[in-house]
Amino acid sequence: MSNKETIPFDLLKTNCAETPQIPEEIKRKLSLWEKLYNVPALRKITLLVFLAFAWQLYAAYLDNALMVPTLTDTARGFFEAVKSAELPLRTLTSLRVICIGYSGGVLLAGLLTVFAITTKPGTDLLEIFTAMFNPLPAIALLPLALLWFGLGYPSIIFVIIHAVTWPVALNIYAGFMGVSTTLRMVGKNYELAGFRFVFKILIPAAFPHILTGLKIGWAFSWRTLIAAELVFGVSSGSGGLGWFIYEKKNQLDINFVFAGLLTVIIIGVFIEGMVFKSIEERTVVKWGMKF
Amino acid sequence: MAGTNAPYRPFLEVRNLTLQYKTARYLITATDDVSFDVAESDRLILLGPSGCGKSTILKAVGGFLKPAGGSITLGGSGIKKPGADRAIVFQEFDQLLPWKTALENIVFAIRQTRGAGKAEAEEEAKVLLKKVNLSSFAHTYPHALSGGMKQRVAIARCLALKSKIILMDEPFASLDALTRQKMQEELLELWADTKITLVFVTHSIDEAITLGTRIIVLSPHPGKVVCEFPVDWSQINSKNHPEYAGLKERITRILFRDMDFVI
Ligand SMILES: Nc1ncnc2c1ncn2[C@@H]1O[C@H](COP(=O)(O)OP(=O)(O)O)[C@@H](O)[C@H]1O
Ligand SMILES: [Mg+2]
Repeated sequence: MSNKETIPFDLLKTNCAETPQIPEEIKRKLSLWEKLYNVPALRKITLLVFLAFAWQLYAAYLDNALMVPTLTDTARGFFEAVKSAELPLRTLTSLRVICIGYSGGVLLAGLLTVFAITTKPGTDLLEIFTAMFNPLPAIALLPLALLWFGLGYPSIIFVIIHAVTWPVALNIYAGFMGVSTTLRMVGKNYELAGFRFVFKILIPAAFPHILTGLKIGWAFSWRTLIAAELVFGVSSGSGGLGWFIYEKKNQLDINFVFAGLLTVIIIGVFIEGMVFKSIEERTVVKWGMKF
Repeated sequence: MAGTNAPYRPFLEVRNLTLQYKTARYLITATDDVSFDVAESDRLILLGPSGCGKSTILKAVGGFLKPAGGSITLGGSGIKKPGADRAIVFQEFDQLLPWKTALENIVFAIRQTRGAGKAEAEEEAKVLLKKVNLSSFAHTYPHALSGGMKQRVAIARCLALKSKIILMDEPFASLDALTRQKMQEELLELWADTKITLVFVTHSIDEAITLGTRIIVLSPHPGKVVCEFPVDWSQINSKNHPEYAGLKERITRILFRDMDFVI
């Protein structure tokens, strides 16, 4: 009490009334340069242009088209292969195969996980399968696939399904298990059961994990497809992108090899960076569920 | 308690309820021989220290947990499984479906439980959102709502079920004091509007006296009913009233007396 009285009243008053010093730069517009620097795409494109220059300069300096063709040679090869319809056809073949393999794998993974969350033996089975097969590289199964399904796309589809199923199943299962008890109770409170419970509660609640699984599955299957096509091409001459690369290397058209590799990269980036990204923006990002 | 000519039938009857959890190594008795009644339009409070089994009792009434002993009847019939005739507000903020906006959460509740048409459900959901003062956040996703707002949506969603009883498990426990007081006032207003039967779990004595018409005090783990207090707000009607302090004092003493056993 005495403390309070010792503080002079007018001092208290001035302390309160005094406006704090306003720093000069509280808010100012960014300069054009600063604004541009803040756009990640722009930064990356600049880097890419630098890298392209470096490639071109190094290839020109090396002057050995059999080892490293120049960027311009590669671009010429790319457009030639596109114009002759060879590259688009090869790409289409690869995409068709991966569509079948990928959707087959995802479907199988979905069935396995639904079986796993509804029954105890199902759980054990899924755990055993994923533990055994997830570490097994898909390509390692190719010799066996050739024996079972012969030389041709059924073999490739088999290894793609193997590449997709386990990581996807693992992620969907983890997603289902991670759905909070509260959300489950809300579903039960609304008397949702069976498929309605799975589709209206479990799947949306587990969607971040499911999407991760789908992304990993895609990445695995795309790599597996190209590798499998490289290993044994295809008898009928209607091979995919991997076969295109292999064939052009045998013909020593190295700029075409680079063009093929570029196509593999472009499709990979497109699916991962555009397709999955936009699904993500429309779902988990919008819902605040991205982890 | 029963009248002589018209036998009194409570709406919710909990009789000798014993609830247990089986884990891999232990059998845990959460509540032991708990009995209480709830009449229609009651605001019954279950008050007790944390870990005494309040949530467990609510889970059993909700139908999520089978009693190891005793019985629970609602409107004369035994409770066997979860159902939309008992709306539940949970303590956790993650009880809203994160992939649906505030409005969609309520619409979902209406459509799944009562099979209403979309337009009709939306109209109703808007009215409910207005009741909990959230009209301007109808199209906001839960992650962008504050804790208090989420609990408001959860309450609106429960009203949407049109059930006769609402079970609330410490819905305001994780809110800051100011929001909490505001939510308590709003809840009482909603109750005045609907006269809905309420079972409200809390560990706060103040909240119990503010919200309840009757308070059941539970002992620490394993929960048993220690005593029951009627709260007469026509008498008390303000926190400054001596009755309020008296009641608080009595409940505090009982809670702390029991705490001594454990500590
Ligand atoms: N799922 C569970 N498994 C095992 N024991 C549990 C489980 N849930 C709660 N318990 C135990 O039951 C007792 C009562 O818990 P709870 O009802 O959550 O208490 P309160 O809600 O009153 O804080 C506690 O001792 C707690 O450890
Ligand atoms: Mg609790």
